[in-house]
Amino acid sequence: MIVEEYFRVFLLLILSILFPLLPLSGSYLFSKINYRPFNSNDVKSAIYECGVESEDITWRQFNAKYFLYALGFVIFDVEVIFLFPWAVIHSEQSYDIFLKVAIFVGVLAFGLLYAWKWRALEWQ
Amino acid sequence: MSLIFSFIPYIKRLIVLILILFGLAVGFILSKALFDLSIYSNAVFDFMIDKSSYNVAYFSSSLIGALGIISFIGLVLLVGSWVERRMIAKFQIRVGPNRVGIFGLLQPIADAIKLMQKEVLVPAVADKLLFFIAPVAIFIPAILAWAPIPWGPNMTYLNINIGILYIFAVSSLTVPIIFFAGWSSMNHYALLGSMRTVAMMVSYEIPISLSLLSVVIITGTLNLTEIVLWQSSNSIWLGLLIPFSLFTFFFSSTAEINRTPNDIAEAESEIVAGYHIEYSGMKAGLFMAVELGNAVLLGALVTSLFLNGWFLFGLENYIPPYIIFIAKTVAIYIVLIWLRATLPRFRLDQLMNFAWKMLIPVSIINFFMIAIETTIITNLDSSKYIIYLFAIINIAVFVGLIILWSKIFKIDKFSPEKIAPIFAQKIGGIKAMEGTKSVD
Repeated sequence: MIVEEYFRVFLLLILSILFPLLPLSGSYLFSKINYRPFNSNDVKSAIYECGVESEDITWRQFNAKYFLYALGFVIFDVEVIFLFPWAVIHSEQSYDIFLKVAIFVGVLAFGLLYAWKWRALEWQ
Repeated sequence: MSLIFSFIPYIKRLIVLILILFGLAVGFILSKALFDLSIYSNAVFDFMIDKSSYNVAYFSSSLIGALGIISFIGLVLLVGSWVERRMIAKFQIRVGPNRVGIFGLLQPIADAIKLMQKEVLVPAVADKLLFFIAPVAIFIPAILAWAPIPWGPNMTYLNINIGILYIFAVSSLTVPIIFFAGWSSMNHYALLGSMRTVAMMVSYEIPISLSLLSVVIITGTLNLTEIVLWQSSNSIWLGLLIPFSLFTFFFSSTAEINRTPNDIAEAESEIVAGYHIEYSGMKAGLFMAVELGNAVLLGALVTSLFLNGWFLFGLENYIPPYIIFIAKTVAIYIVLIWLRATLPRFRLDQLMNFAWKMLIPVSIINFFMIAIETTIITNLDSSKYIIYLFAIINIAVFVGLIILWSKIFKIDKFSPEKIAPIFAQKIGGIKAMEGTKSVD
């Protein structure tokens, strides 16, 4: 039964790949009947840089603050994934499970406050 | 005679009114046959199972549903862009597109044909494969997330019991695809735009998950259809019961889909066009189209999670339920257009501070409060009206928390900056070395 349900996802996946290819193939057809212009040159195929030539290679070291935000995201996303199974059964459970979840989230919230105090959340 | 002439400017509106009334009449007559569209899919299934095997019958009935979703999205992409341009024009006291077809309704088709004719420019230094994949692949999350949406009582394409987790999983696929687009362009602006977008999207995914956690706690299910049915059986909209979750989900999703109050990715005044700066012709059009489709998807999600889906005060027995669902979706979409016309763009550091210092801590407080309330509701099932009491309490706490937290925020803002060291400088290896140039 589960395989059947996810077959529908697969079907929609194929259609969602075909959907944007439809206008792209229309564009391709226009180029086949010489209706769409295609005369590229060095200036046109250069990357856009407000009218001047681009300096230096683009793929290089980047600022570390993006990495810090990604770290915070990973920690909290894993936390949320752990919390969802608890959330589904919460109304049928006793108080001690709620207490355990409170401790678990409390530790992470304390970590967030600690990072806040150390200005790890500032966009410098 | 002059009286008749004075009515001439209103004739156009009169025609529209007559057409709307005619459409309503036709809709009412057809509504018996169109009340539940799932009967057509079931009829195909019954027809095919006599002729061939079970798998072929299942495939063909699934194909009907999939084509229905795809054609709805295609219609939305055509009509939605017209609606958006007309509404923005009305907000700015302009006329808007009104030349192609009646009221300019054929304008999106003309735009599509124009985009197809344009010359496609690919940068010589770009990564060709990823550059081509990105505009095609960005449609995958936008379309797959429509699958578990409940259109009506039996009209769910993918009725799985982990609907909310499925939507999380699928919609987070947007992040790497946007990074593909920016990274493969080999452009400084594009890479910067995609980096900022990725940082913002991952930051705002946490408030979204925490706000939906309160929905799951209170309904006790991850299935979208059951969430809608819970709201109707308790006769309250979740948007009223947990207003902070609605606010968080709506605001964070506008950041997630790059709509205007938070469209850092496309900040023209700072980084030209963001991650799709090098795209031209139909590929750029695809990026525009997917933004519009995501806005309507947000409307559908808000409708089914917070606005009671296809139910509308008993009206769902007379009008086809999916019409009510689409009407609510369009209402949310119009709110998004309204926001776009009204609000200026926020700065990136403001948005990041808002996510990490306001939305995440307050969401944690919020879902603990909801958990305690749920325990009280389930243990105290004598009175049904306690849920309305909690709705009033939650609205009061929502307003109070926002005021209180912004006061705390201000204290933090004016604190002496030299006392606390900067975290990024403390972890030596991560920050770019002295002497090497680093993109901001």
